Amino acid sequence: MRNLPPKRARFMRFRIALLAAVLGAGALAVTYRAYDLQVRDPLDLKAMAERQYLRDIKLSPKRGTIYDRNGAELAVSVDVDSVYANPRVLQKSGVDPVYAAGKLSALLGVDRDRLIKRLTSKRYFVWIKRRLSPMQAKAVEALKLPGVALMGEARRFYPNRQLASHVLGFANIDGKGIEGLELSLEEQLRGSTDPVPAIRDRRGVVVFSEQLLDDRAAQGDSVVLTIDKTIQHIAERELELAVRTFEAKGGSVVVMDPATGEVLAIANYPTFNPNDPAASPTSHRRNRAVTDRFEPGSTIKPFTVAGALAGGAIRSDQSIDCEDGAMQVAEYTIHDTSKYESLTPGQILEYSSNIGTAKIGMALGRKRLYRTLRDFGFGQVSRVGLPGETSGILRHYRKWYEMDAATISFGQGMSVTALQLASAMGALANKGRLMRPILIKRVEDARGELIEEALPRVRRQVVPIRSARLVSDMMIAVTGEGGTAPEAALDGHLVAGKTGTAQKADYINGGYAEGKWTSSFVGYAPARKPRLVAAVVIDEPLIHHYGGTVAGPTFRRLMDASLRHRGVVATVPGDRPVARKRRRKAKPAEGEVVVEAKPDAPARELPEVGEGERLVPDLRGQTARGALAAVHKAGLGARLHGSGVVVGQEPEPFSVVPEGSPIQLRLEAPDHVREDELQEGQQAASDKPQAGPELAVAAERGRDG
Amino acid sequence: MGMLGDLLSRARGGDAEPTKRSTRALARNRRPDAESDAPADKAARPSKKDKPSKKDKPSKKDKPARATAMPQQAFPKVVGPADAVLTGTVIALVAFGVVMVYSASAVFAHSRYGNGQYFLIKQAIFAVVALPTMVALAKLDYHRLRALTYPMLVGATLLLAATAFGLGRRAGGASRWISLGPVNVQPGEIIKVALICWLAYSLSKKREQIRSFSVGFLPHVLMAAIMMVLCLKQPDFGSAVMIGLITFVLLFTAGARLGYMLGAGILALPIVYWLVAGSEYRMRRITAFLSPFEHRYEAGYQIAESLMSFGAGGASGVGIGDSRQKLFFLPEAHTDFISAIIGEELGFVGFAVLVIAFVVLIARGLRAAYLAVDDYGTYLAVGITMFVGMQAFTNLAVAVGLLPTKGLVLPFISYGGSALLVNCAAIGLLLNVSRPREGTPAAELTKKKPRARGNPRLSEAGGLA
Repeated sequence: MRNLPPKRARFMRFRIALLAAVLGAGALAVTYRAYDLQVRDPLDLKAMAERQYLRDIKLSPKRGTIYDRNGAELAVSVDVDSVYANPRVLQKSGVDPVYAAGKLSALLGVDRDRLIKRLTSKRYFVWIKRRLSPMQAKAVEALKLPGVALMGEARRFYPNRQLASHVLGFANIDGKGIEGLELSLEEQLRGSTDPVPAIRDRRGVVVFSEQLLDDRAAQGDSVVLTIDKTIQHIAERELELAVRTFEAKGGSVVVMDPATGEVLAIANYPTFNPNDPAASPTSHRRNRAVTDRFEPGSTIKPFTVAGALAGGAIRSDQSIDCEDGAMQVAEYTIHDTSKYESLTPGQILEYSSNIGTAKIGMALGRKRLYRTLRDFGFGQVSRVGLPGETSGILRHYRKWYEMDAATISFGQGMSVTALQLASAMGALANKGRLMRPILIKRVEDARGELIEEALPRVRRQVVPIRSARLVSDMMIAVTGEGGTAPEAALDGHLVAGKTGTAQKADYINGGYAEGKWTSSFVGYAPARKPRLVAAVVIDEPLIHHYGGTVAGPTFRRLMDASLRHRGVVATVPGDRPVARKRRRKAKPAEGEVVVEAKPDAPARELPEVGEGERLVPDLRGQTARGALAAVHKAGLGARLHGSGVVVGQEPEPFSVVPEGSPIQLRLEAPDHVREDELQEGQQAASDKPQAGPELAVAAERGRDG
Repeated sequence: MGMLGDLLSRARGGDAEPTKRSTRALARNRRPDAESDAPADKAARPSKKDKPSKKDKPSKKDKPARATAMPQQAFPKVVGPADAVLTGTVIALVAFGVVMVYSASAVFAHSRYGNGQYFLIKQAIFAVVALPTMVALAKLDYHRLRALTYPMLVGATLLLAATAFGLGRRAGGASRWISLGPVNVQPGEIIKVALICWLAYSLSKKREQIRSFSVGFLPHVLMAAIMMVLCLKQPDFGSAVMIGLITFVLLFTAGARLGYMLGAGILALPIVYWLVAGSEYRMRRITAFLSPFEHRYEAGYQIAESLMSFGAGGASGVGIGDSRQKLFFLPEAHTDFISAIIGEELGFVGFAVLVIAFVVLIARGLRAAYLAVDDYGTYLAVGITMFVGMQAFTNLAVAVGLLPTKGLVLPFISYGGSALLVNCAAIGLLLNVSRPREGTPAAELTKKKPRARGNPRLSEAGGLA
């Protein structure tokens, strides 16, 4: 403005400065206002903004997977298709809803009228059918109906069907754990159902969510069990075989690693398919190994002996007077199956002498006996993580009757679970150290990050190493030639263990139920360097009831396969024929508990079978189907009379008849079998186990001793 | 093309003498692309010009020299470069604007056009056109604009009238655009610069007469009034207000009687009231401005969302690109309310830096006005600076809820080609005014510095270099 007069230029500069001041004031005002909004008091506005773009989304997180110890999937969640419709879109597209309903109804088997009602509604979302088969899903897609679409929904799937079903339990259609670990680990497996903050746009579309971006964050944790799928499978197979062979009511098998306390298998029978739990009765779904308690009988004896050795109540070479088969305690009489003059503790275990054990127990004293058994874990829940676990019953010694110190020492008047038995036996195998049983090895989140890990933990040193060793060596004899369970002897490994044959308590009438037994075998192998400990419990076997006979073979087959699976090399060279021979020669004697019996499988000299002749098999106790198969295999014919189980046959077993001769078989319902057998046992010399007068004694003895 | 041109001309010839129908048919077929007539003519021309152009070439170089030599005697000699601070600030603002347009529009663009970079690419292209335009205009001596004053004014007014009377493209209830070939321009933007140029020209010509009513006051106010009416017709209330403000600012600077201006303002009040109260949407804007959160789901929605954006940003912001409000909550996120997104993503800090950038721009612009060689330059500089500054602070004030919604964009930042081009062109003029010229204090300053530049052409860059 140099072309202007100085006065006017100055005047103009002043006015420009005024304008600048106005703009400057504007700048200040705007800045101050922004400061006010953003720094001084932004919280209300911020909250308001967040309220409109933050939306809590409820997710249905993917349920965690359950793995076995080697990473095999035991329970997984898989996406299955469900079909839904948007009726408005369908109607808008001009497709006749009645036509669409007809098509869908024919395809999916959904009621047509209901579909018509849904598809003609004014709603935006209706379910057509949930959880389709892949075939149905494909067919629905092929229909290409507008507004009808598929949606993925998670469904729990157990790829191994009934394998470990009792351990796993199952989840319902909504993915909620109902039984087993699915129930007890619900919290971990379910994942976060907390609403996830997500950012949505104005139209309500979820745009972004950190949690959704990494949807593993909300997923359920994965659980790695200590279960070994292979051993579990073996256990289930052998258990089923045993239960079927001996026509038992049920059974349990627990396999553990004695060094760590890890549970390698928990098998129960009857079993169920967790993919369709409704198809089985509730009783089939019970995890008997932890929920059912039973009187252990003789399997308790090694613990009594160990406690007595540890407490100095007896010496291992001490001779104990066995009172010649009957001993009076209070007003009751304790019997042995065979009459023994005197036995060492080792022999007491070998022959399973009740009197000997009772004396040891009494020598130990009720307080110390109680402490010992308690320390071995009886009467307490093991907290292995399975729902409904029972502690068994081990009353406090102050509440014991006079008789109890004697009877509890050989396993009467208390009850245990299969898991407790295996775990306690594991302590003897593990140098007297009771390990905490572990079933849940690891919990990992969906990203593979470790959340929890169960490390082997010693619960307590129950007995000193020396005592445990001594008892362990004594138990090797049990599967020896003179022992009660030669059937449990392994080829290539020494087995330490103990049989148990306990009459079941009759909870209705009191006392003991006639002919109802719990047959068990608990042991470990190899005896000197134990790798596996197993408890085999068979509930109410009909055919036989001796622990050694019923549970022994199951134990042997189970151990044999499991040790091989775990890569344990045979330690007794060339033992295979020896063990077999030992089994053959074995004279199963010495009954258990109060019941005694004659040798179970007598070494009968088989007659010579000539050309065109056949040996008649022993069919008694078999079902009709089994008997027919056996007869057919033997090259003979059969005539059946009655139904149920074979209770008599003509000609007698092991007689020689011409090939193709018919054999008359008398069958009766299993309920009557026992009585018949008993009579037979009394009348005729039979190789079947028999319950003699002692059974009556036991019944008289009464539940409370 | 030549062939085609020949063919067409022959075909046209065929029109006169009805010979063969086939030719006529051909001609008719060709008719629809009538534009090709013009290229055909152009194509024909070079062939004629080919020879002379070769001769011209050496003389062409002389021509500008002669051309610049002539005015250089009339115009004060340029002795220094344009204001580097101003240039830098504007370039930075434009670059920042491209980034923010992308950030604010990506979601919307993706949903509307299926391409998140739709607005980014367009704005980048605008910037690539606008910034060189600015630089080019900075080299054009502003005194040359005098000759263009009336063509610009008339042209811009005609365009504005054309849009106002429904010849333009309608969008969002207003017809503010007009198609010029492939590009749509907003005459409302161009008119402001044309007005500034005209006012500067007129005021500097009238000198002392500015204080008179009939010569100094009335014509300018009348011209402004015509433009404002045309703007309101579109309707474009924001531009109308801006035109009024520019007129006021320049009249004030020139020294018009305050009484006249006050009187005009008082006279205008009922009209403004009638306009506002008579238009439902403007009335709603006022009530929404007064209590945005009470009308949060209707008229106050936009301003409420804007305030929430600022609040959500807090002191340091949610981070660039992380705005939530742009998820369709805040309307016009990449145009009128881009400053709200800046406030949200960069927080108070970013917002304050933005304000400072505009303050620097205004300060440098007014400095140029102070140091301008003549009053024409001063008026231009004040007009342009105040134009940009008022737009900026009005926009920011609207965003923070200090003023009612007007529909003004944030200069250099908001998406929009016309506004960016016009603003950059205006800054180009301002930059030219800012160049030190002989006989000004600024020139003295530059002279003292022995910044001997080897290339003399730079010093005479006021010419059409």
